[in-house]
Amino acid sequence: MTFFISGGAKSGKSSLAQDLAVALANGGKHYYVATMISTGFEDDERIRRHIADREGMGFETVECFTDIMACLKTADRKGTFLVDSVTALMQNAMFPAEKNYEMDLAAAQRCADRLVEFAGAVKHAVFVSDYIYADARRYSESTEAYRKALADADRRLAKRCDTVVEVSAGQHFVHKGELPL
Amino acid sequence: MVLIIGGVWQGKLDFAKETFGITDADVFICTNGEIDFSKRCIYSVEEFALYHPDPIGYFEAHRERWQNSIVILRDMSCGVVPLSPEERIWRQKTGRLAQYLSREAQRVSRIFCGLEQRLK
Repeated sequence: MTFFISGGAKSGKSSLAQDLAVALANGGKHYYVATMISTGFEDDERIRRHIADREGMGFETVECFTDIMACLKTADRKGTFLVDSVTALMQNAMFPAEKNYEMDLAAAQRCADRLVEFAGAVKHAVFVSDYIYADARRYSESTEAYRKALADADRRLAKRCDTVVEVSAGQHFVHKGELPL
Repeated sequence: MVLIIGGVWQGKLDFAKETFGITDADVFICTNGEIDFSKRCIYSVEEFALYHPDPIGYFEAHRERWQNSIVILRDMSCGVVPLSPEERIWRQKTGRLAQYLSREAQRVSRIFCGLEQRLK
């Protein structure tokens, strides 16, 4: 089963995704795919908080920063994967640190392709993304290109996944499929 | 009239094409304060709202012309209140127009990541 979860910042997406992954694993192997490259204190704090949240839930952590398929080199594809987040993977792929954060549209496309491929390659997956599409700001060209690339990945995953859920203030709206919780 | 709303890049126009069998030739894309209501689908109505001083008044004045239209409007209601007065007024005009059109519509669909959520 595959799940796609999105919503605003601090809406409860990660909590839902964690509970869902544990339920899907049903005692079997479940992986937390760590996607965030820390850029400083704030990120360290966020990562620390997420690790504390997951404590005692039995997750194995696999690090993966751009190509999601790469984590299958070490992880068992018959397991359950929590990918949190699509947003971070896309950012890492599209603005690679090793290329001085210069925009790479081909890499963004590849990142989305690999996510969709991953959804078909593993037993259970829960993808978390961020809904960053409903404000009135005029963004810079590269930021707008990023929003479009992330939206494309979101839409392809939403199409591919069995269940699509929008989270708002901890409440869930199921756009497609069923939420087995 | 059918109103389709949703955030940027969510697939509103693709949804309209798939659901109502329209093509690019049926779509009027707003770029200023005028709308060609002879086209079945009116896209980017938020751009019209940016340039027209009284968007609701304009729709009222042309009421009989859009009764069978598909109107697509971008949701820009979230986020911090924009600093620039232009963007602030734009967001307000677009929000009020969305409410007006939503009241008038037979059907309102919100598009989230390419999926329809029927609001009315």
